[in-house]
Amino acid sequence: MAVNADYSADAKELTINIKGRFDFGSHQDFRDAYERVDGSPQAYKINLKETTYLDSSALGMLLLLRDHAGGDTAKVKLVNSSTDVKKILAISNFDKLFEIE
Amino acid sequence: MSNQHLDYDVLSALQEVMEDDYPLLLDTFLSDSQVRLNELHKATDPQKLGQAAHSFKGSSSNMGATHLAHLCHQLEERVKHPPLNDIEDLVNRIDNEFAEVRRLYDDERQRFAY
Amino acid sequence: MSMLAASEPLTVLIADDNMTDRMLLSSIVRRQGHRVLTASDGQEAVDVFAERRPQLVLLDAMMPVLDGFEAARQIKELAGESLVPIIFLTSLTEEDALVRCLEAGGDDFLAKPYNQVILAAKIKAMDRMRRLQATVLEQRDQITRHHGYLLNEQRVAKAVFDQVAHSGCLSSPNIRYMQSPYALFNGDLLLAAFTPYGGMHVLLGDFTGHGLPAAVGAMPLAEVFYGMTAKGYGLAEILREMNAKLKRILPVDMFCCATLLNLNFQRRVVEVWNGGMPDGYLYRSESGEHVPLRSRHLPLGVLSRASFQEKTEVFSLAPGDRLFLLSDGVIETANDDEDLFGVERLERVFELNRDPTRLFEDVQAALGAFHGESRDDVSMVQVEMVEPGELEPPATVYSDSGASSPLNWSMTLELRGDTLKRFNPLPYLLQLLQEIHGLRSQSGALYSVLSELYSNALEHGVLGLDSTLKRDAEGFAQYYEQRSTRLNHLKDGYVRLHFMVQPEGRGGRLTIDVEDSGQGFDPHQVMSRSPEEEGLSGRGLKLIRQLSDKAQWSEDGRSASVEFSWGALA
Repeated sequence: MAVNADYSADAKELTINIKGRFDFGSHQDFRDAYERVDGSPQAYKINLKETTYLDSSALGMLLLLRDHAGGDTAKVKLVNSSTDVKKILAISNFDKLFEIE
Repeated sequence: MSNQHLDYDVLSALQEVMEDDYPLLLDTFLSDSQVRLNELHKATDPQKLGQAAHSFKGSSSNMGATHLAHLCHQLEERVKHPPLNDIEDLVNRIDNEFAEVRRLYDDERQRFAY
Repeated sequence: MSMLAASEPLTVLIADDNMTDRMLLSSIVRRQGHRVLTASDGQEAVDVFAERRPQLVLLDAMMPVLDGFEAARQIKELAGESLVPIIFLTSLTEEDALVRCLEAGGDDFLAKPYNQVILAAKIKAMDRMRRLQATVLEQRDQITRHHGYLLNEQRVAKAVFDQVAHSGCLSSPNIRYMQSPYALFNGDLLLAAFTPYGGMHVLLGDFTGHGLPAAVGAMPLAEVFYGMTAKGYGLAEILREMNAKLKRILPVDMFCCATLLNLNFQRRVVEVWNGGMPDGYLYRSESGEHVPLRSRHLPLGVLSRASFQEKTEVFSLAPGDRLFLLSDGVIETANDDEDLFGVERLERVFELNRDPTRLFEDVQAALGAFHGESRDDVSMVQVEMVEPGELEPPATVYSDSGASSPLNWSMTLELRGDTLKRFNPLPYLLQLLQEIHGLRSQSGALYSVLSELYSNALEHGVLGLDSTLKRDAEGFAQYYEQRSTRLNHLKDGYVRLHFMVQPEGRGGRLTIDVEDSGQGFDPHQVMSRSPEEEGLSGRGLKLIRQLSDKAQWSEDGRSASVEFSWGALA
């Protein structure tokens, strides 16, 4: 799985793209994507367009990001999820913590 | 394959490797070769003959006796195709070649006589 | 020409029947910095190898007694797992040499006349291979050792956990379950316990992660579950406590998906809370309908105490109805074609089932027939709704000596306004009443009656809920919706509980009075209802009468009084 990150034009939002399987092997890459970045983004967008699979360790990683981004005040959006991914997010009710598009 | 009796480049490489044991190597080869020649003469069946020729070929080539090695190789190949009519001739040629190189090795040996 | 010394001196065995070649090769190899052993025939080569164990062997192909190829085979066998490179010395023709040498187990060959540079290069390459093999074997042994430690740690952890979990009631006749013995290390957790009121709490959980980290969260969770259930706490309080505990002790990225059930056999209801687990099912035996019990909440350990939602869903139950809970290992079981068992297959099993008593077996059979790869995280539990009294909860073991017992006291507890919203006095009252030794044999009845009186006072009294709403399943859902809303908005009102304990002869008597601030009701009217008219509602009053020694209501229905008595203790 491949992770890359880029800033929006106004450098306020960081988009993290996840390609392939988002599972326990992705841990280090995902953390690096938001920890090793210059500046502090005000918002995060996780692009799941090319994410083929998501499991409970991925959910855990999203919680880590949310915690890093300020916990209850964090602005984290999950976008472009496939039907399967949406199903997993729905069962765990993660739409109560993240904005899901 | 060159047909020189003795390749002196090989000898100088041997001298460098063996250092003080170089004369010992020469002596060992000469006495060892005598044994091999006797085996060649005494051999009764083609297989034993071939093995003796093979072994002699190995040491002669290591010691730079190129033509001698070549003749042993010929003998080794020859015994694979009976009948063995002209074997006697080939063995004699080996005898002669060895006599020739022996002289050259003795000269070489002389350089180190204490 | 100078020779570079080898990076590490090796012991090299040189086997050649020709003395000249042997002498020459030995000098070359010694000059390269290695130690040399020699042999003049194949048998001697094998013997020297067995005794001195050199790291590298230079072997003449043609040797008397035992030829080079056979000697190579024997040496390789003696070497076993370790790699001892064998370089054949040969003046056979090239192709011939290569094939025969490799077939005999040789690793390389060196042609005569010997070339020192080539020999040095080959020795270096062979040694690199040899050291690589040695590293692989060492790492393999290390891994095996560590794996052994890990298995042992897990054994110990499981033994400790079994001690914590053993007090459950999974062996109760109305429960069937399927779980791998190592489910714990996949984070799967199955707990069940009787409540003091003769009801049952069941939890099916799934921790994130694998191995010990997944198992470690299970222990504090089980302790809370069993401890609080035994004390008579309700699901809401237990959920709040479990969530807070996990939130505190687990790292941010770990959580526990769980479904909790609270079965009340007397009221014929089940309360359900599902946070992150796959759908459970309520199977109604009469209609064959299966109602999904969906995940409405975030898993435990994610939200702070302030944001946690303990709202449950309530369903009515008839005897014979069953609740099915399963972990996602069931749905995700895959067969050889990589198809998943899936929700559709499971629902088809429910549809095809004709005998409700065999529902559990039908699901197991369907999983087996699917030829799925057997997994450690397949957990399933079925809980059947039975008549109250059909189950016999084990007698509580009291830890005190039973010598002294408070026999002459009274107490009034009044809960007002929004204290009624979140404070459940029952566990504290239970603990108090447990002190009365003479009553211990009737504790099930006592707690049921107290629980019934309190909820009547709160729901029908203070909140003014209409019990006739609970006549059918839809009305049921409405009733609990209203209960939740009204409780949230509650500002005024009270429930007053009065306890009096008096000695009587060689035993004693407990009188409980419960009064509420509600509008009241006509007790005669309620008592005289026919069973059909009652439906699911109103059974409370008859039950209270049945379980206590004496029960009476005031004319306006706003207060109730019950009595329990006991004789001399045996």
